[in-house]
Amino acid sequence: MEFFKVMADIWCEYWGLFLKGLGLTIWMGLLTVIFSTVFGSLMAMMRRSTWGIGKFRPISAIASVYVEVIRGTPILLQLYFFYFMMPKWFPVLNLSEFTCVLMACCVNSVAYVCEIVRAGIQAVDNGQMEAARSLGLNSRQAMMKVVLPQAVKNILPALCNEFVAVVKETSLASTFFCGELMTQFKTINSITFRVLEPLTIIGIIYFLLTFTMSKFIAALERRLGTDA
Amino acid sequence: MLKNDLLISVEDLHKSFGRLEVLKGVSENIYKGEVVSVIGPSGGGKSTFLRCLNLLEIPSSGHIYFEGMDITDKKADIDVIRRKMGMVFQHFNVFPNMTVGENVSMAPILLKKKNKAQMDDITKELLNKVGLLEKINDYPAKLSGGQKQRLAIVRALAMEPDVMLFDEPTSALDPEMVGEVLHVIKELVKTGMTTVIVTHEMGFAKEISDRVFFMDGGIIAEKGTPDEVFANPQNPRTKEFLGKVLY
Repeated sequence: MEFFKVMADIWCEYWGLFLKGLGLTIWMGLLTVIFSTVFGSLMAMMRRSTWGIGKFRPISAIASVYVEVIRGTPILLQLYFFYFMMPKWFPVLNLSEFTCVLMACCVNSVAYVCEIVRAGIQAVDNGQMEAARSLGLNSRQAMMKVVLPQAVKNILPALCNEFVAVVKETSLASTFFCGELMTQFKTINSITFRVLEPLTIIGIIYFLLTFTMSKFIAALERRLGTDA
Repeated sequence: MLKNDLLISVEDLHKSFGRLEVLKGVSENIYKGEVVSVIGPSGGGKSTFLRCLNLLEIPSSGHIYFEGMDITDKKADIDVIRRKMGMVFQHFNVFPNMTVGENVSMAPILLKKKNKAQMDDITKELLNKVGLLEKINDYPAKLSGGQKQRLAIVRALAMEPDVMLFDEPTSALDPEMVGEVLHVIKELVKTGMTTVIVTHEMGFAKEISDRVFFMDGGIIAEKGTPDEVFANPQNPRTKEFLGKVLY
């Protein structure tokens, strides 16, 4: 009972901090998601590009290297990299800690979204592209009218799952005290010397947040499934 | 046949996939209004030949002339040429993200061939011809295989092509649906549409064709009228193949 009492006390005392952390977590997640959706899609287009000389396709190669490097290194390493190197390399920009960490999250997520979009497009039967082309549509028209609308059904659910992952990954930003939810735990822990109670509270907040998103995704999947 | 009736002319067509040479020099003329069936064993190059005609496969060498224009020339605008060549696929490839009506009207409207009002009437007329008018607002997921293939045929016809290419249009159908699709093709042929059809339906090929090509080993091994090819084949490979498929 002691546990619940302390938890209630901490909530009553510091609920403002928790909510502030939650707000920043959602804000970071949202910015990352928007950025990575736009640039991840572009990156996927780059990866699918066939432009090149002979067998060498430079645009596709650049995108492939990017995706492989980002997916092959830990996100925490990327956070450190951006946190320390960006202000050093671009002092004129006067980047805040939050911006540096956000950049790392975005760069990381772009690689994953790129693969989600690419896989979604690839999963559409090649016969669809052929049928569209045989009617006289050029490759861009065939992509926009026929392939992408079908790919979206593959992409959206996977994209939402990526968003859930992004929200959880923002907790790594607490390494640099960025002020999101996990940072608030560190703050409250240092004031109260309590671990389990504040940790449980932010655990519940994270869970409620991602659980809501999962439910939303499930509903979305059902909706997309009906008119297939 | 008159020379100015020439629609498609193929000159020494070769196609390789990696090291595998699928077409080993095909030269052939197809004339306006002609119905040509392409038969032969699997892997003989039938489908590849057909898919080269509208450049879904890019030939490794050789030339294809369509209405007097070299479409294998790098400067040829293949998107414009394809609008005059309808193609029907083995696996239908109808667009599941569009209604039956949209499947038919999308390309002509998008490519500015017809405005929306004109296309509404044409779509209804075309769908009516193949018995799909009441499905106009349904999605293809609700259609049977035979209905999907009939839809694919009118989708191609909506572009008012000069030639129709059929790539094994009944091979993926349940047996009881083959008839309805063949019927539609038969009706189409009666209108005088130039048609090239790759098929395993020997009886059908015999009935509708002006000429039959027997393809084996990447070449047209034998060709002639249906009577010549089916009743009196000269090439031993044709005999062997027909012996296996005609009982």
